[in-house]
Amino acid sequence: MNNASLLPIMALLPFLGALVPGLMIRAGRTACATFTAVPTILALVMLGLCAPDVFRGEVLQIEFEWLPALGLSVSFFLDGLGLLFAGMILFVGLLITLYARFYLSGDDPAGQFFTYLLLFQGAMLGIVLSNNILLLLIFWELTSLSSFLLIGYWTHLPEGRQGARMALTVTGMGGLSMIAGMLILGNIAGSYELTDILAAGDAIKSSDYYLPALLLILGGAFTKSAQFPFHFWLPHAMAAPTPVSAYLHSATMVKAGVFLMARMWPALAGTDAWFYAVGTVGLITMVLGALIALFKDDLKALLAFSTVSHLGLLTMMLGFGTEAAAIGAVFHIINHLTFKAALFMTAGIVDHEAHTRDIKRLGGLRHLMPITFVIAVIAGLSMAGIPLFNGFLSKELMLEEAAHTDWRGSHYAVPILATLGALLSVAYSFRFISHTFFGPVRDDYPAKPHDPNFGMWAAPGLLVVLVLLIGIFPQATVGPLVELAATAVVGHELHHWHDLKIWHGVTPALIMSAIAVLGGLILLALHRPLERLWNAVPRPEAKVIFDHVVGWAVAGSDWIAHKTHNGAISRYLAIFVVSTLALGAIAASGGGLAPATRALLPVPPLAWIGFLLLVVAAIAVVLLHRERFLSLILISIVGLGVSGGFVYLSAPDLALTQISVETVTIMLMLLALHFLPKSTPAESGIFRRVRDGAIALGVGGAVASLTFAFLLRDFSSISEFHLTQSKVGGGGTNVVNVILVDFRGYDTFGEIIVLGIAGLIIYALMHALLDGPAARRLRNWEFTQERSRDRHPMLMVIATRVMLPMTAMVGVYIFLRGHNEPGGGFVAGLIIAIALLMQYMASGFGWAQERQRIEYHAMIGWGVAIAGLTGTAAWLFGKPFLTSSFGYFHIPPIEEFELATAMAFDLGVFLTVLGAVMLMLYSLSRIARYAGETVNTAAMDYDPSQGIRETTEEER
Amino acid sequence: MISADLNIIAPEIVLAVFAMLGLVAAVYSGKDRVAGILLWATVALFLVVAAWIGLNGQGTNPAFGGMFMDDAFSRFAKVIILLSAAAILAMSKDYMERRDLLRFEYPVLVTLAIVGMMMMVSAGDLIALYMGLELQSLALYVVASLRRDSVKSTEAGLKYFVLGALSSGLLLYGASLAYGYAGTTLFSGIVVAASDGHLSLGLLIAVVFIIAGLGFKVSAVPFHMWTPDVYEGSPTPITAFFATAPKVAAMALFARILHDAFGQAPGDWGQVIALIAVLSMFLGSIAAIGQRNIKRLMAYSSIAHMGYALMGLAAGTEFGVTALLVYMAIYVTMNVGTFAFILTMERDGQPVTDIDSLNMYSKAHPGRAFAMLILLFSLAGVPPMLGFFGKFYVLRAAYEAGFVWLALGGVLASVIGAYYYLRIVFLMYFGKEQEELGVDRSPILYGLLMTSAAIMLIGIVNMFGVEGAAAAAAATLVN
Repeated sequence: MNNASLLPIMALLPFLGALVPGLMIRAGRTACATFTAVPTILALVMLGLCAPDVFRGEVLQIEFEWLPALGLSVSFFLDGLGLLFAGMILFVGLLITLYARFYLSGDDPAGQFFTYLLLFQGAMLGIVLSNNILLLLIFWELTSLSSFLLIGYWTHLPEGRQGARMALTVTGMGGLSMIAGMLILGNIAGSYELTDILAAGDAIKSSDYYLPALLLILGGAFTKSAQFPFHFWLPHAMAAPTPVSAYLHSATMVKAGVFLMARMWPALAGTDAWFYAVGTVGLITMVLGALIALFKDDLKALLAFSTVSHLGLLTMMLGFGTEAAAIGAVFHIINHLTFKAALFMTAGIVDHEAHTRDIKRLGGLRHLMPITFVIAVIAGLSMAGIPLFNGFLSKELMLEEAAHTDWRGSHYAVPILATLGALLSVAYSFRFISHTFFGPVRDDYPAKPHDPNFGMWAAPGLLVVLVLLIGIFPQATVGPLVELAATAVVGHELHHWHDLKIWHGVTPALIMSAIAVLGGLILLALHRPLERLWNAVPRPEAKVIFDHVVGWAVAGSDWIAHKTHNGAISRYLAIFVVSTLALGAIAASGGGLAPATRALLPVPPLAWIGFLLLVVAAIAVVLLHRERFLSLILISIVGLGVSGGFVYLSAPDLALTQISVETVTIMLMLLALHFLPKSTPAESGIFRRVRDGAIALGVGGAVASLTFAFLLRDFSSISEFHLTQSKVGGGGTNVVNVILVDFRGYDTFGEIIVLGIAGLIIYALMHALLDGPAARRLRNWEFTQERSRDRHPMLMVIATRVMLPMTAMVGVYIFLRGHNEPGGGFVAGLIIAIALLMQYMASGFGWAQERQRIEYHAMIGWGVAIAGLTGTAAWLFGKPFLTSSFGYFHIPPIEEFELATAMAFDLGVFLTVLGAVMLMLYSLSRIARYAGETVNTAAMDYDPSQGIRETTEEER
Repeated sequence: MISADLNIIAPEIVLAVFAMLGLVAAVYSGKDRVAGILLWATVALFLVVAAWIGLNGQGTNPAFGGMFMDDAFSRFAKVIILLSAAAILAMSKDYMERRDLLRFEYPVLVTLAIVGMMMMVSAGDLIALYMGLELQSLALYVVASLRRDSVKSTEAGLKYFVLGALSSGLLLYGASLAYGYAGTTLFSGIVVAASDGHLSLGLLIAVVFIIAGLGFKVSAVPFHMWTPDVYEGSPTPITAFFATAPKVAAMALFARILHDAFGQAPGDWGQVIALIAVLSMFLGSIAAIGQRNIKRLMAYSSIAHMGYALMGLAAGTEFGVTALLVYMAIYVTMNVGTFAFILTMERDGQPVTDIDSLNMYSKAHPGRAFAMLILLFSLAGVPPMLGFFGKFYVLRAAYEAGFVWLALGGVLASVIGAYYYLRIVFLMYFGKEQEELGVDRSPILYGLLMTSAAIMLIGIVNMFGVEGAAAAAAATLVN
């Protein structure tokens, strides 16, 4: 069996294992811890099986397809770097499991904890083993998620909340930004496989998108590894249980960013951009973290900032981009892991035993906790970089590299700052040891401290043994591993490999180291005054800045939301219209406008007059919109003007329709006008009106010019088809009518249904309305305006009554001629409706109602039914619905004339139109009756004969 | 022949007839008392029709001379529309019943809207498009203001109607221009008119107006103005409905008309879509930060999500359409789950929509909180949740089509957007201690919440094959 096939199993093991402690949540700490250790040990064994291959220089690879369209595959590989990290993750994971078994109290839900821990471990393992950058991304964010669960494990601690929030926000966002970086890399390399991308390093570095890709990926790496300016989240995440801090925040998760930079080294490193971005940020982080660590009183906070500082160191080394720096970085990763995890565990033990981590309340523990003391001293000296401890060796490599690094032409900037960082590191390390363990024994510890049982100090104990072993026999213990991993980082054979050793002679690095140790001791001696100074000097607090930035962002977003969404529909409409206008303008400016192909027609004076009339009437409506009556009249002028235009342009049928529609609507509106409130809403201010006017003019102008441009160019028209087919296909010469009843019979059928429904709905709405508060308002209506004494002007009454039969006849005539001459059912319906409307207006609703024989509802129904039946009749002849047919008949006394089935259809149209209009009128009159209009209830009747009778009777 | 045509639109006919019969039957029987039965019947019918379309449909079948297209693309969209609508209807029943909102018109109107949506995604002609669109919109206008005694709901409905009418007008204007310049309303005819790789000015302006009109329907910036108000004002189940099926339909229609009718010149409209997409993503992400009402927040969230989906459309490629479809499928699933969660939020039986009420939610309801956490991570597009896959699809589509700036903008917007999703997670897990929020213990809501969260996790295995179907659907559209 090929060892490569172990890789996916290895990556999957922790996830599978995570189920077990989760399911046996009540089984107790020991059982949970044991079942957590099993998959970890198994994975370690597998790693051990793979290790010989890797040491032979092989790269184990295995790939399964997952979502090929996306470029995602389950693809793992193991090289030196992966081996190093995987080993670290599993090894420390094992130690942490042991430590946590004793650290957690019996009340804590241990099953949950170990489940999260294994989830996290699996995610970390996935990151370092992935050969597909999308897979890597997935594991990357899984660490964010599982770390969130781990940090949130102790939700009862209030200080933990802020930390968890920051950690999640910062690392989560960083991870998302990496998506784009990975996308760019994948596209340049033509593959999302890491090995392909690393091989395409030159193409990537010379690509236009190198810089954005670099910055985006660094965004992910820097946030994860808590690099300046994102360093602030890490110390705040320290409220988590100490095993979590030790595992996530020193050994593994925060190193993921470093890992990524190391992994991407062949693809990204070696450019100026890389050096200045990565190296500088690392340098700043290193010094800043160390400086803050010196003044932290909380043991874990001190260690957290120290971690920030050391991560900065690693980042800086990787940023240098040289082979030696890579070796140093890899070596320091191992060393930092050993001493920092031990220190965290020590801090945890102190916290666990003394119930405080405040350095100011500790001291003198040397006598009370001798074992812990020894462990802390060894690890602390290593952190300080004292010879014989492993921290010294990698620090030497760092200083050596820093000593000959130029930063923008300056030979001194990097060495001096690096020495300063080392110096501060010495100072806080010694402070950690001396202020916690030395000094007099106090009698005010919150709890009586003593050494914990073996289980708890076993893990840190083992780590400090490693510290010493590596520190004294570097080459024998980790030399080959460092060489292997460094080879993997740089992506080719190392050209300058020297075995790791303690003594290099008196080098600049040694001198810098000596300065650092001395300076560190001096700083520690001066700690008290310096601390006063530190506290007195105002300094930017990252958390405060974070909160402020968030606050501003929220305020800014609120501002945007309120500006665009103030709830006023006028603003919505304005935005909508203006954007469309802008889009249209962009489109119009982008495309080439073909030259005009049609000349303008000469404009006779009559057209000018009509045009001016339209414009003046339209402007007058705007100006006089407060006067509703006047506005209506002006609108009717516009309508008539349009109808006139139709006449002028030889479209009498359209004109006829337009005029009748116009008349009916204006009449109905006149009737409705009466019931509108007698006041108008407040006018908006002049600025608003000018602005709205500008928008309206802009849109109007745009539409007008578009139409104008449209008309100046040739377009294919469908009128030709209709003109030729009207007589042949529909049997009529009135094209409009033929279209209505034949070509587009379906539409018309739908339309009359809509019209009928509209009438019914107005009726129904009125019904509902008059049951509610509207009815009460109407009943209490105050007619402030003087009303006419003569409700039924005699002249009008007589005129309308005389006109009724004549109009009805005109209607019938119009209906009958409809198919060939201007007219038709629609117009006819409107004309008769006008005649009836006039009756209502002149003689009152009551009078007209008495003489009404047909229910309007029924009329609508009949109309639709007739039209529909006409249509279905076509089925009898095997034709599709609404196919019309026509024939010529000769009825002897009259003439030969044409009958078309369309005529029956037209009858339906006629009835529906008439019914709908009248129903609307009926609804209006109902309102009037509610408002106390007597004429609408009692029939007005002038019976002249009655008057004569009365007179004659009197005379008698 | 007509009977063949009728066969092709049989699912639509069945639904339409069902809606009308249901309406009449309810009017002449128990009215609102039968609303529950009618609702369940509708859910069942939706599921049956979805299965019918999903399992039975094959090939590309134009009906009515190409005015109506039954193809893999439309079937894909229809199945999503029907399934999501069924889910939303099912989860709305208890909620609406308890608040005396369950009118028998509700399932009927939803059915009509669904018929409209099915018409939309199958439209092969400007007229058919408009018919479907208006059938959908008219039903939605009414549904939006279903709660007539609430000023907010009525106002929302009115705003939606007025703006919707304007957008329809714009769309019609664009359609008439397209007709004027192409001489036909058939998509297959218009695409010929634009065959030389560039649109004439008239068609270009036409497409811009059509985009504006459809932009309104998918609530893309700057035509999104109605969304927060309607989301907030409508009863929550209806908000959930708004957030799902109509969005899919409008997005599918968008893809349909742009590719079928203007597909020869993706360069001409791609820029416009890209602009709208980037505006939507940023405005949606930024404006959501300050929201305190979770429904309003979801409105902005949907605006941002539509921006991402449009990114796939802007690409103008087959892969872009695949990405769009995959994205919409995932988006709908996430939203069903999220709204199932929002529907459970209550205190003393009254619905709560304030985000602050979620403080320390995880303590009282760990299971639900965890499901919501997964959904929120997925909405934010955090790997490994399914939401990430959708996002990566569209990002990749945009990037490969040369819209590098758009892809980068998309990532940036998702970084901003992550903030407000994560804030809810934070509140649920680390918020202030407060009086604990009650939950509606409806098993349907619980089931949908958990299912959708589970899909976000399990779906990453193979996306349940949606990817293949989407690719097939896209292939029929872009060629």
